[in-house]
Amino acid sequence: MYLLRAIVRPEKSTIVMKALFESGFPAVTKLAVFGRGKQRGIKVGNVTYDELPKDLLMIVIPEKDKDFVIETIMDSARTGDKGQFGDGKIFVTKVDESYTISSGKKE
Amino acid sequence: MNFITNPDLYYTPIGVWGHKRNYMKLILAMIRIAKMHETKLALSDAGLPSFTAMQVTGRGKGNGDFDKPESADPELRTLISDIPRLKSKRMITLVVTDEKKDLAVDTIIKANQTGKSGDGKIFVLEAYDSIRVRTGEMGEITLD
Repeated sequence: MYLLRAIVRPEKSTIVMKALFESGFPAVTKLAVFGRGKQRGIKVGNVTYDELPKDLLMIVIPEKDKDFVIETIMDSARTGDKGQFGDGKIFVTKVDESYTISSGKKE
Repeated sequence: MNFITNPDLYYTPIGVWGHKRNYMKLILAMIRIAKMHETKLALSDAGLPSFTAMQVTGRGKGNGDFDKPESADPELRTLISDIPRLKSKRMITLVVTDEKKDLAVDTIIKANQTGKSGDGKIFVLEAYDSIRVRTGEMGEITLD
């Protein structure tokens, strides 16, 4: 199992979640986060904004679906055809175990 | 086997070369907001008082979430999306030693189980290191 942490634009998170739902991955957790990336934020005149609002989507998926889900997120989160700075990142972590609380079962 | 290229061979919990290390575990649990207090009490009683909580929204498999209001105007009802809405949850994060992982998972399940859908999920990940900022200590000593 893998945990995907996708940092996307806040206005894109609904689109990403819709794309995930339609391709059969309804389960997702969303957090509002602030951060900056390689471009060190945005500079407008003399003012630098380096805490840009983003949405963090957390999705746990089986190993076989990893590439497909990453592709789905990237296609739906990209701005325009080529993509822009600030479209976000996806981090992939291994998950050892997963439990459903209502049944108490390990999956 | 080269221990320089394989960190599993020299980071051993008991200091014996060639043993795979049992890493600390990072536990992510998405739970109901209403069960937060019980979970806090249960974790303190189990000897795991330290954790971090976050306000998150999320959805699961979405089986129980299609509650479109019946009374709404038929025209307006078509505007309501078929996709399940996001529900407010708390996400608790705790780092425990490998031996205490089962205790922590059982405690969270016991405190949160109502048997209905929406109780949440628990994920167990490996935490490779832990540092106490105040002293700079590293490893499992920081979890005591």
